[in-house]
Amino acid sequence: MARPGRGRVLLVHALLVGATLVSVFPILYALQVSTLSFQEVFVFPPKLTPGREFLDNLDRAWERVGLGRLLANSAIIALSVAFGKICLSVLAAFAFTYFRNFRGKGLFFVLILITHMLPLPVRIVPMFQLMQNFGWVNSYQALTIPFFASATGTLLFRQFFLTIPPALSDAARVDGAGPLRFLLRILLPLSVNNLAALFMVEFLYMWNEYLWPLIITNSDDMRVVQVGIKMLVATDAQAEWNVIMAGVVAAMVPPLVILLLLQRSFVRSIALGQEK
Amino acid sequence: MHWMAKAMMTGVLTAALLGWSAPGHAQVKITLWHAMGGARYDAITKNIAAGFNKRNPNYVLEPLFSGSYAETVTKAIAAIRAGNPPHIVQVFEVGTQTMLDSGAIIPVTDMVKPGEIKFDDYIEAILNYYKVGGKLYSMPFNSSTAIIYYNKEAFQKAGLDPNKPPATYKDVEEMGRKIVASGAARAAITFGWPSWMLEQSHAMSNKLYADQDNGRTGRATKALFNEPFGVEVLTRWKRWADEKLLAYGGREYAPNKAFLSGEVAMLMQSTSQVTTIEKAAKFAVGTGFLPRTEGQPMGKSVIGGASFWVLKGKGRTPQELDAIVKFFKFIAEPEETAKWHEETGYFPATKTAVTLLTKREWFIKHPNHETAFKQIQQGLDTPATQGVLLGNFVQIRNITDTAIEKTLSGKLSPKEALDEAATEANKLLAEYGRITK
Amino acid sequence: MEGKFPNRILPYVLLFPSIAVVVIFLIFPSVQALRLSFFEVSPFTGRGTFVGLANFRELLSSELYRHSLSITLLLATGIVGIGISVSLAVAVLANQPLRGLGVYRVALLWPYALSPAVAGTIWALLFDPSTGPTTLLIRAVTGFSPNWMMSGGYALWITVMAAAWKMLGFNVVFFLAGLQAVPREYREAAEVDGAGAAGVFWRITFPILSPVTFFLFVMNSLYAFFELFGLIDVMTQGGPGGATDILIYRLYQDAFISARWGMGSAQSILLFVMVGVLTLLQFRFAGRRVFYG
Repeated sequence: MARPGRGRVLLVHALLVGATLVSVFPILYALQVSTLSFQEVFVFPPKLTPGREFLDNLDRAWERVGLGRLLANSAIIALSVAFGKICLSVLAAFAFTYFRNFRGKGLFFVLILITHMLPLPVRIVPMFQLMQNFGWVNSYQALTIPFFASATGTLLFRQFFLTIPPALSDAARVDGAGPLRFLLRILLPLSVNNLAALFMVEFLYMWNEYLWPLIITNSDDMRVVQVGIKMLVATDAQAEWNVIMAGVVAAMVPPLVILLLLQRSFVRSIALGQEK
Repeated sequence: MHWMAKAMMTGVLTAALLGWSAPGHAQVKITLWHAMGGARYDAITKNIAAGFNKRNPNYVLEPLFSGSYAETVTKAIAAIRAGNPPHIVQVFEVGTQTMLDSGAIIPVTDMVKPGEIKFDDYIEAILNYYKVGGKLYSMPFNSSTAIIYYNKEAFQKAGLDPNKPPATYKDVEEMGRKIVASGAARAAITFGWPSWMLEQSHAMSNKLYADQDNGRTGRATKALFNEPFGVEVLTRWKRWADEKLLAYGGREYAPNKAFLSGEVAMLMQSTSQVTTIEKAAKFAVGTGFLPRTEGQPMGKSVIGGASFWVLKGKGRTPQELDAIVKFFKFIAEPEETAKWHEETGYFPATKTAVTLLTKREWFIKHPNHETAFKQIQQGLDTPATQGVLLGNFVQIRNITDTAIEKTLSGKLSPKEALDEAATEANKLLAEYGRITK
Repeated sequence: MEGKFPNRILPYVLLFPSIAVVVIFLIFPSVQALRLSFFEVSPFTGRGTFVGLANFRELLSSELYRHSLSITLLLATGIVGIGISVSLAVAVLANQPLRGLGVYRVALLWPYALSPAVAGTIWALLFDPSTGPTTLLIRAVTGFSPNWMMSGGYALWITVMAAAWKMLGFNVVFFLAGLQAVPREYREAAEVDGAGAAGVFWRITFPILSPVTFFLFVMNSLYAFFELFGLIDVMTQGGPGGATDILIYRLYQDAFISARWGMGSAQSILLFVMVGVLTLLQFRFAGRRVFYG
């Protein structure tokens, strides 16, 4: 088909820039507010240029809710769950794909699949009770271990493993390599895009998780950054938007970094999934 | 970044992660969960806690901000169930019945030896809220009531006397129309804490909000806010909204910014905001008594705010109990409660503190801080003005908030909204009664 | 057997962690939720009284719950409808060899990387009735001063936009991948046959995209039902007047603020039924080729 004319390309670019602006403008606005002083937030007409108070605001947000600790907690949780989920999903998918049928295989598969129908809100009250019984309330365990299993992850890797030609594992077997060796040396390197994609999705999911940490954490030293943002907003007094936005900026940076690093792999992984 | 700075940051972060705490001689630690955010966070942490800790080096009071009032109560109850509650929790007045029924508290009267704290120095209205059957259950800390704030400059611009705030709803309407017509402000009035305002309007006119004398002579089973009086109040508010006099700005403290930005000329709000509002406003702020519906009997405004409740946990050691009592003594000191008042606007809790402030000419320099105080000294002391005690009050407040919002946004008529709310509330009251039998 | 390893024990070992987590933290609590839904539980003592189907009866006859259900469905419809159509349009536009596509993609995906709580915070500020820039803009252009705290419809509308905004990039990325899998020969053949751009799109491209579209329909619906708690809690707290009181928010209020564990669990079970329907639909249609290729 003929290459689109110059005018057409420009139009497309213009529309895309428009769409991008819609996506990004609210975030840029938040960034701008985080640089203003308290009075500047409330002036009318509103100030549209950046101010100079960012570090000051960040400092106040830091102090107000212990932002440093919050960021550390969110990081620990997001990283642990991303790693944990990937490990468990890969192992499970490997078990389902690369071994001769074993008893209970079907049942186990269904069990893992069912979890798709059991998002947290469906079991949230008993989960809370369970945490109380385990003594895990307000602990890292409560915030991570229940999230280690994943239907999506297992399915994703199983689908992927199924596209790998069996000759590969046959060759490995012939070479005397055990299954784990095969997994580590051959399969994992092949799965890099899927690993990166799942890591990105799970890291973002856990970093952004709000409801569960809200319920299960009580104290400053266990809180996560999302709940901290809410605390900044919902103070029983005048909401200081400039300080709140500084906190928001701090909460936005790590996911943005992960996104920048891994989005290509994420997109590639989806494309791989599209190829039938 | 310089490598040393990086190393230090890593070290600090690791230390924080490992929950390292300064080695010291065995100190008795008591934890306090509170809901004081914003400017009050600094007041409680830097002044009160730090002051107490300095005075008592063997004790450490650790205040922990737990979110909003509702969240703090919920977390405390969850912690009680888990067996590891804090020593003290700040519970707002709405959570009183819940705490009384929890079986997890140590009443203040049981903890403090007679004469150890001068309770008769306390202002009666404040103490009475937290007294049931003559026994004081919790330690008053931050008590407030609702008043009206107004923008003196807007009043002047509208041709109104800047020293005369509205006294009745009729005044609000007449003054409000002048304000909007003259362009002095976009809207005339707004209010925070809608449910509390509904409760206040009942108390100010000596009307009961729930049966069993507002839950004070027995467990309340029936909400009374959907009786003609409540419907009348809500109808007035709706009329204000229709005439574009009222610009509803959200619950709790959210409407403050509409007032501060000059959009709205009058704000019915807790007196605990006096210091913050005066500081943040770019115009002269006046205050007055909460406007009443005209033609109704005289009542009194109701105490709001929160108090400190002591939780049993698995048992407290004598040192912990002593630390708690010493803390209560500390906050009862005239200088301390006066300072808390100056920093926030919450009442100075004792008569001695009031005398201290008067001697310092504080009220002359800050007349707005005296308004609420004068208001609770006038009027009648009846069950209708002592404050409502309801189980599940947190959720019931949510229900009435929703009813008010539905009315103001035109979804339901005032009677429909309040009837619906009363039905839901009665269901909750019945369930609460069953559960706490 | 080709491709498979002979070990008999190893699969169980490999599966054990996943199954353990699934059984302890997913299956068991879900069964417990079913059990709890038949009780009325005291928040102080944890003791429950068996009430049979009373919780369910109360929910299904409660004005509050039915309202919450309709709000959630409305919200989901808005998010899915707007989200999918807008992102499809953007994806179609972007589906050519463009320079800087990577940059566009990151910019579009940025909201996806934000948490609902952060998104809610930003949008709360944007639409603040006194100081928000959008409010001021609307006021300057139309003279009308929108106040979401006095208009439930407006509040719901803002919530739909905030939620759809957040998923835009995610949807676009998936649509792009789907579009790129459309074989060129089909499009070219259609164009040779004289079909205009619109004809090509609706007759060829859209049917081929149907698996992706369906997938996104399910993902966005699940998102609308389960992932918006943070957004609502920060932005509107279910208000004004319950206008944004979605099911998950209602559940949180009943279960954790009012400490009504039996009632909360009943709501969990009803949510499960709704998820079940969605998931069954997904499993039925996902494998099927919805076009004939």
